[in-house]
This record gives sequence, structure tokens and C-alpha cells, in this order.
Amino acid sequence: MSETWMIAGAWLSAGLTIAIFSFLYKDNPFFKIAEHLYLGAGMGWLFQVSVFSVWGPKIWTPVSHGDWLVIIPSLMGISLLTQFIPKLSWISRYGFTFIMGYGSGLAIPATLSTDFMSQILGTVQPLSLMASMSPFAIFNALLVAFGVICVLFYFFFSVEHKGHFQKVSNIGIYFLMVYFGAAFGNTVMARFSLLYGRFDSLYASSSARNFYATQIILAGMVIYFVLHSFFGKKGPAEGEAAH
Amino acid sequence: MLKENLQKFFKIDRRWIFLLLAVCIFVPIMKPLGLPNKTIAPETKRVYDYIEKLPPGSFVLFSLDYDPSTRPELHPMATAIVKHAFRKNLRVGVVTYIPGATGMIEEIFETVGKEYNKTDGKDYVIFPYMPNIVAAMTQMASDIYGMYPMDRNGRDTRTMPVLDGIKNYKNVSFVVCITGTAILDYWVAYVGDKYSVPVAGGVTAISQPGYGPYLQTGQLKGLLGGMKGAAEYESLIQSPGKGTSGIDALNLGHLLVLALILTSNIIILIVKFL
Repeated sequence: MSETWMIAGAWLSAGLTIAIFSFLYKDNPFFKIAEHLYLGAGMGWLFQVSVFSVWGPKIWTPVSHGDWLVIIPSLMGISLLTQFIPKLSWISRYGFTFIMGYGSGLAIPATLSTDFMSQILGTVQPLSLMASMSPFAIFNALLVAFGVICVLFYFFFSVEHKGHFQKVSNIGIYFLMVYFGAAFGNTVMARFSLLYGRFDSLYASSSARNFYATQIILAGMVIYFVLHSFFGKKGPAEGEAAH
Repeated sequence: MLKENLQKFFKIDRRWIFLLLAVCIFVPIMKPLGLPNKTIAPETKRVYDYIEKLPPGSFVLFSLDYDPSTRPELHPMATAIVKHAFRKNLRVGVVTYIPGATGMIEEIFETVGKEYNKTDGKDYVIFPYMPNIVAAMTQMASDIYGMYPMDRNGRDTRTMPVLDGIKNYKNVSFVVCITGTAILDYWVAYVGDKYSVPVAGGVTAISQPGYGPYLQTGQLKGLLGGMKGAAEYESLIQSPGKGTSGIDALNLGHLLVLALILTSNIIILIVKFL
């Protein structure tokens, strides 16, 4: 890629990042432009993926090499589009029937084995191996089994949660809260990582090699907000702070 | 009077917090603080140990399924594990089920491949993007070439030295899936459990807690979580990269959040007893 294109890319990347982040201050036209551009570019990207990475190698190339069998699944796929024509929508059932049958056949055994049987085994099996386990591993195995039972109790609604049942179910809530806390902490870390990624990119665009793209765009944005606060009309949406 | 002043803290314009956070994240990028990353999670170490124990020439299949939206977390870990595989002289195959990943995969192999003098087709192969994940995974169980007769540049895969002796999952020593989606679940369910192929993963920090059950049962051999996982792996292979440099920013960001939580709780307590 030539140097000019790299610099243009840095300006575009910095401009769009700052435009999107500017919403944190308040709604503005730059944010709207970036938002619409993102949606349009996303749709365009998906369209070209469908044409060049799916339709081309999976349908066009085999058919042009005489493999006519691919026309059958292609027709079934096209049949889904008849949903939009009420008189012909019954044809789409053939496509959906295949998808349902194929999907269920693949997913049900795999889910039962991976997420159900293996998980039950993983919870119960350590209890039978306690003789060879360290004290911490025994405590861990008991805690996992106890937690599973308590949480399952919380989701068991056929018995009224009263007395001892309520106590067990309440302990289940604490286990769930620990999980949600861990998940929230990780979510915060993930969001900070993404923010770091964008800031790192902005820092790269701020170099002299990129003609100080970040600083110039940021300064332009600040000038816009200052001028807008003095001369702009305060509409209901424009004046609203980011929430 | 003090009570009213303290209560003003809860009415602070949140844009000040955004600004404070921006400063906390941006400053370490401009001037790295070099805060250490001293803890290595056992699940990260397990991925490292598994690769470390593989004999040279073993075939490792990477499923790199992330797009630019999760790049800061997942790209450094993918780069680090590929580096480790090349350092161990393992043969590497790459598949992807996310079209947005293709550019980043090229970027990894262009830089890391050059660094370790690895040749496309001889030491590694990058397969093209494939739609319909589950169909591709299940067909590869019988014949990889049925699914991928050509690499991403249209070259015949059957004649590639890197795939010499590789026909299906029986010949694959290890699968590493790095993703911000549920594709790792598919690898566990449709490949790991079904064909007894060892599977490890690298996921975003958000998804990490959800994979605990798979780790406990051994369905996942190891797991890298978020940018911290990437930093840990970079420490293990002693090759600091973007994961390590992000730790400063993450630490400062977390300290800010902790400070805000503590301050607000202390203020609430003071207000309550005033």
C-alpha cells in the first residue's frame, strides 16, 4: 500500500473515531455522518461478502464447472425469499423445513452431550475421586456441586420457595450474584481494552508522518463546539448531553 | 451544609468522568508507566504448556474468528500464540468463519512469518473464509480437502508440504480458536467432544466467565481471556506486544473505577450518618 493511502487511512480512521466519540460530549452532525457511514459501509461490506465469498465460490464456480447439483440447495435458499410474496410464501416452507431438520439434527445431540451430560459428569465425577484429591480440590469440588444444586433450586418453580427451600434458593442467588459480578468486572475490562485500542490508533495517527491527523481533527471539533455554543440554535436534540 | 456539598458529587456531569477516563487511558499510551503484569492465570499457562509439549512438525489448527471490533483484545493473543507455534517449529493451518478477520490474519502472518522465516504453503497455510461454520467443521472431520480444496490464494492444498499427512481431525494435534463470538462453543461441541481433539480458546474478557464450566470439565484445555490473557501469554513467550503495553492503561482505568466506587460509597455513608 502506498504511503499516500496509509496517510489517507490514518486521517479517515482518526476522523471517524473522534466523530463517534464526540457523542459523549453531545449529539452533533459529525457523529451522525459517522454513524450513517458506518451503517452504509457495513451493509456494503456484507453485500460484497455474500457475492464474492459465498455466491461466487459456492454457486457460480461449481455451476460453471458443470456441478449442477448445487442448484438444488440454491433453489431451497432462494425459496426463503418467497416469504415476501404472500401468494407464494408456502414455497418457503421447503427451505425452512430443511434448515430446521438439519439444524436440529446437528444441534440437539451435540448440546445434550456437551452442555448437559458432560457438565453433570464434571460436577459429580470429582466427588468420587476425593481420596486422591488435595484438600483445596475437595473444597472446590464440594463448592461447585453445592452451587449447582442451590442455583438449580432457585430456578425450580414447581415447589413454593418457603422455609428450607427458600434458604437454599437464596444461597443460589448469592452464587448467581458472584457470577454476575465477575461478568460485570470482565465487561468493564473488555470495554477499557476496546477504548485503549481506539486511543492507540489515534496516537498512531497523531504522528508527524500522518501530518498530525488526530490533533488537527480534534482541534477542528473543539472549534466547532465552541462556535456552536455561541452561535448555534439550541434544538431539543442538539442541546442534549450524552447519556 | 457539608451534607449538601457532598451530595453534589452524585450530580456531577458524567462528561467529567469520561474525560478523566480518557486521560487515564491515553497517558500510558503516550508515556508507558511499565506497570508489571505479575500474575499468570493457570488457564493461560495450560495453553502455553500444551503447545510447549507438542513435538516439532505437529499440525496446529487456528480458527481466528474476530473482526476489527474486538481487535484490541484478540489480535495480540492470536499474534502471541502464532509466534509460539512458529518458535516451536509447528505446522500451522488457519481457518476463519468471520469475513472481517481475513485482513488481520494476513497481517499476522506477514509480520510473524517474516520474523521466524516461515514460508506460506510450506510452514503454514491460510484457508479462505468459509460460510456455514457447523457444516464446515463437521465435513473437515472426514476430509479437510473436501472443504478446503484451495487456500485463500486459489492454490491447490493437496500438494502443499505443510499439509503433508493431514487428512482430517485425527491428524490435528491441537485446535486454538480465538474469537469474540460463540464459535469456540462450536469447536468444543462439534470437534473437541465429538472427535476427541484437544481444543483451547482465546476470548474477549466479556465472554471469559461463561467458559468456566468447559475448563472445569477439561472440554477446553486452556483459555486466554481479554487483553490480560494476551499480556500473560506475551510474558510466557517473553515477547512483549500490544497486550503488555495495554496493561498500563487497563490498570489505571481500573484504579479510576475503584476510586470512584469507593468515593461514592464513603460519601453515601457520611451523608447517611450526618
